[in-house]
Amino acid sequence: MTDFPELTEEEFRKLCEFLYRRTGMVFTEAKRYYVERRVVERMTLTGSHSFAEYFSRLRADVKAEVEQFINAFTVNETYFYREDHQLRCLTSDLMTERIRHKKRGDLIRIWSAPCSTGEEPYSIAMWLLENWPLVDEYEIEIVGSDIDTDVLEFASKGVFGKRALMRLSPDLIDKYFSMLSQDSWQILGDLRDSVRFSTVNIAEPGDTRTHGRFDIIFCRNVLIYFDDASRRIAAENLYENLLPGGFICLGHTESMSRISSLFEVRRFADAIVYQRPKGVV
Amino acid sequence: MPLIRKPVDTPATHSAVPVDVLKGLHEGDQDQRWAAARAAADVSGGADALANALQSESAPQVREAIFTSLMRIGSPTSIASVVRFLRSDDASLRTGALDALRTRHDVVRAHLPSLMADADTDVRVLSCEVVRGLPSAEATQMLCDLLSRESEPNVCAAAVDVLAEVGDARALTVLAECEKRFHDTPFLAFATKIATARILEQSTERHD
Repeated sequence: MTDFPELTEEEFRKLCEFLYRRTGMVFTEAKRYYVERRVVERMTLTGSHSFAEYFSRLRADVKAEVEQFINAFTVNETYFYREDHQLRCLTSDLMTERIRHKKRGDLIRIWSAPCSTGEEPYSIAMWLLENWPLVDEYEIEIVGSDIDTDVLEFASKGVFGKRALMRLSPDLIDKYFSMLSQDSWQILGDLRDSVRFSTVNIAEPGDTRTHGRFDIIFCRNVLIYFDDASRRIAAENLYENLLPGGFICLGHTESMSRISSLFEVRRFADAIVYQRPKGVV
Repeated sequence: MPLIRKPVDTPATHSAVPVDVLKGLHEGDQDQRWAAARAAADVSGGADALANALQSESAPQVREAIFTSLMRIGSPTSIASVVRFLRSDDASLRTGALDALRTRHDVVRAHLPSLMADADTDVRVLSCEVVRGLPSAEATQMLCDLLSRESEPNVCAAAVDVLAEVGDARALTVLAECEKRFHDTPFLAFATKIATARILEQSTERHD
């Protein structure tokens, strides 16, 4: 990678402000190294000779640079059956509650946002097939969404390496994947067809509204990257995206109670989740 | 194997945003008022209309959306209207205003000196909570200024509580004076001792 001088304080501030306005993600001086590494990478790939040149390119969105820039800042590390205690909670409690007022054959909508490279929505599909006896009695729609268009392309192809599969038993790998090479496996076509992928910025109401309402939302480990103001807007967006009585699962270090009072806390044996109050439209 | 076997219609989210957003803040059901409250931040005249709606709105969800929109506008008028609710007799509006103000230190900062000198004791107590989110040096300075002139034990206790979490060594002198001044108010003397010990502990850790 080409060597560039460190960003000045002013350049760093401008860049972080740009990122904040576009995504709601907040980076402070403490994250300078993380930010600089990604900017230098983008500068190298775009052939920019200085920060000023790169920033003009970014602001003018030359060759969709804004999208590439945002993609470079999103954290995409995940694996199958990550935080599986929430998946246990899904089949032991959440689905049971959601079908209480549904008829057989009704629709149950589950949203994984952000879904990164697809491990989470595919995990939800596999987990339901393996662990929820009523899986064939309902129409279950799983949607995976992310702000990063590169990861969505990756997700829809459904090809994964050894690391992503580390928590899966050999039986599950045999059942749901076909081996492409020594180090890569592809999710079976039927399972790929069970998940629909889309782009979303969860801090942007115009983006989230088009996705409609869900019974259950998995929104793990993204709100921690937002500042308080964006977090609150995102919480309101997600509230709109839930059906009354619907559930939202956050990452284990996150707490909706610290963000918004719109949701009720529900403590189940396997996880703490947040619920949109039932009686409220 | 596919979990879904037929195309589905996506269930719509909340009601469509009313044509007249500002009118919608007072009309229709809770769902429609919520949609109007969220949309009003992008409409001219939204700040005043949202502040007015907050006076009569009773649904907690809609109130929260109004506060969020006022903070999103972030203009001196919209922030001032949220600040006004720190004086409300309704505890949920006071808390709502506090939670909202905590999300935008960039624009609230300018109001803090006057809030911390407000004639209303409750406003001074709540202001200490807003200060909690500021950078340590700035918060320490503001809380020390308040402590050195404050005579109300509850306000001092709020400031001391925040200092215990975010304060730095510059607060030690003011804390010692506070402990002396309120030696006959046991809970405050105790809180001051705790805050002093915590700050000392943290500054020792920083030097190790």
